[in-house]
Amino acid sequence: MSAPLPDLLTAPGAVKAAPARKKAHGKASTLRIWLPLGFLVLLAAACFIWPQIYPVPKPVGGSILEAGLPPLSPGHILGTDPNGNDVLSRILYGGQVSFEVGFSVTVIGLVIGGLLGMAAGYWRGPADAVISRMLDVLIAFPALVLALAIAEGLGPSELHVIWALAIFSIPATGRIARSNTLAIREQDFMLAARLSGTRGHQAIIRHVIPNILPQLMTFALLGFGIVIILEGALSFLGLGIPLPEPSWGSMIAQGQQVLSATPEQALIPSAFLFATVVSLNVLGDALRERWGVR
Amino acid sequence: MAVATETSAGTTLAHKVLGSPTLRLAGRRLLAAIPVLWGVTLLTYLVMNLLPGDTAQVLLGANATPAQVHQLEIRLHLNEPFWVRYGGWLAATLHGNLGTSLASGENVTTILGQRLPVTAELLIYALVGSVVLAVLLAVLAARRPNGIADRFSVVISMTGLSVAPYVLAVVLVYLFAVRLQWFPAIGYTSLTASPLQNIRSLTLPAIAIGFPLFAVYTRLLRADIVEQMQREDYIVTARAKGVPHWHILIRHALPNSMFGLITLVALNLGVLIGAVAIIEPIFSLPGVGAILVSSINNHDVPIVEGVVLVFAVVVVVAALAADLLYAVLDPRIRL
Repeated sequence: MSAPLPDLLTAPGAVKAAPARKKAHGKASTLRIWLPLGFLVLLAAACFIWPQIYPVPKPVGGSILEAGLPPLSPGHILGTDPNGNDVLSRILYGGQVSFEVGFSVTVIGLVIGGLLGMAAGYWRGPADAVISRMLDVLIAFPALVLALAIAEGLGPSELHVIWALAIFSIPATGRIARSNTLAIREQDFMLAARLSGTRGHQAIIRHVIPNILPQLMTFALLGFGIVIILEGALSFLGLGIPLPEPSWGSMIAQGQQVLSATPEQALIPSAFLFATVVSLNVLGDALRERWGVR
Repeated sequence: MAVATETSAGTTLAHKVLGSPTLRLAGRRLLAAIPVLWGVTLLTYLVMNLLPGDTAQVLLGANATPAQVHQLEIRLHLNEPFWVRYGGWLAATLHGNLGTSLASGENVTTILGQRLPVTAELLIYALVGSVVLAVLLAVLAARRPNGIADRFSVVISMTGLSVAPYVLAVVLVYLFAVRLQWFPAIGYTSLTASPLQNIRSLTLPAIAIGFPLFAVYTRLLRADIVEQMQREDYIVTARAKGVPHWHILIRHALPNSMFGLITLVALNLGVLIGAVAIIEPIFSLPGVGAILVSSINNHDVPIVEGVVLVFAVVVVVAALAADLLYAVLDPRIRL
C-alpha cells in the first residue's frame, strides 16, 4: 500500500504549510490578528445588525424609475442597480448569505469531516480503508462540478448551496483531521493513555480533539474563505441564491453585463468579496504562526 | 522511503523488465487508479440521474406534451433502470465509445476533440506562466527573507490566494479590455488562424486562472527554499567552500525545494476543471468548461461524464508524472 514519498502525497495539509518565520514580530503579528478580525466583526455586524436597527431600503423590488443611479445619490449611498434596487442594501443582505453559507459549510465540514478523519486515523484498519477511499473519490471528483450538479438538481436555494458545498468541505477537513490524528496517535502520551485503559472514543475526545484543534481551526478559516468564493461562483453561474434575492456572486454577474457603462456595479461587490476573503486568510495565517501550526 | 526493492532473484530479461521500478510504479498506480476512476464516473452518473429534474422535459422545454416527452425518453433509453443505463455507458466507454450528446446527438468524442485543444491551450498557458513566475519570485524572495522582494511576494501571494477567479476576470476585463483595450473582452481565435490573436484572446482568461495558482505556488516554494537554506548541511558546506550565494540558491536549494511544488501542481490539476468551467463562459471560449456548465444545465449526462473522465485521467497521470519527476530530481529516491 505504501507509495513512495507517502509524507508528500498523503498529507496535502502539510504541503500547504505556512512559511517558517524565524522571529514573529510581536506588534506586527498582533496587528495581523486584530485588524482582519476587527474588519470581519464590523462587516458581519453591518450585515446582520444594521438592517435591523437602521432603516435600509429593501434589497429587492426596487422601482425601475430609480434604476442605475450612480453612487452617492441621495438616499442611495452606493447607487442603485439596473433593476432600481439599492446597492448598499444588496451588499448587506448578500453579505448575510456569504457569512451564513460560509459558517454553516465550515461547521458541517468540521463536525462530519473531522469525526470521519479522526475515526479513520485513530482506529486505522478497515474503517480507515473505507473512509479514506471515500474521501479519495470525493477529492478526485471536481468539487465544483458536484456542487453545480447538486445545486442544479435540487434547484437554487441557500440550503441547497450549503449541502452542495459541504460535500467539498467534508473530504478536505477529513483528510487534515486524519493526517494529524495519525501524527498524534504515535506520541508517548497517547500510548500512556491507551495503556492506562482509556477507550477509543474517550481518547479521541480527551486527547485527539484538543491536540488537532489548532490545525483544524486554521484550516477552517482558509476553508471559510474558499466557501465564500465558491458560493459566489455558484450564484455567479445562476445556480446559487435565486434571483432577485441578493448575493455578491450574482451581483458581480449582473454587473458584468454592464461593465463598460457602469463598472461600479461589478466592482463594488467584487471589492467586498475580496476584502472578506483576504481578512479570513490573513487571520488564518497569523493564527497559524501564533499557534505554531505547520 | 524506499519501498521493497529487494527483487534480487530476477536475472532473466523478463524479470528485468518486470522488475523495472518505473514500470512497476506505473503499473501499481494505474491499478490503484481504476477503482478511483470507476468511483468518479459512478458518482457523476448518480448525481446527474438521481437528482430531481426530468431530462427529457428539460431537453424539450416546458411546452412539450407528455407524449413527446415519453417518446424522447424511449429514444434516449431514459426509461430504463439506472443500473442498466450506467452499465451500458460503462461497457461502451471501456470500448472507447463515450456515447452521444443527449441534446445535440453529436458524438461526445468529437465534441471533446474540438473543445479539449482550447482548454488544454488555456491551461498550459496558465500553468506554465504561473510556475515560471512563481519560481522567479520565490527565488528572489528567498534570497533575503524579510527583504523587499520577500515582503512583496507575501503581499502578492496573499492577494492571489484571496481573489476569486471570476472577480479577477471582471477586474481584468474592465482594466485591460474596456479601459485600455489591449486585449479582447470575449472570443477565441484559433492558433492556426492567427497565432498573435490566439495569444491575445487567451491572455486575460489565462491570468484569471493562473494568478491564484501563481500565488499558491510562490508561497509554497518560497517557504521550502527558505527552509532548505536554513536547515541543510549541504548548504553550509557549499557556503564554506565559497560557492556564490546565487549559485547555492539556484543550483542547490531550488532543485531540492521543487518536490512540494510538483506535488501541488499535480494535485491542483483536478481542481482546475472548476476554474475553467467559470472562466470559459465569461470570455466566450469554446472549451470543455463552457460546455460542461451548459451540459449540467441540460442534464446531458454523456458530455458531463466525458469531461469529468478526461480530467480524472489527467489527475491520475499527473500524479504518476510527479512521482517519476521526484526520482529525476533526487536519484536517491527509488521508485
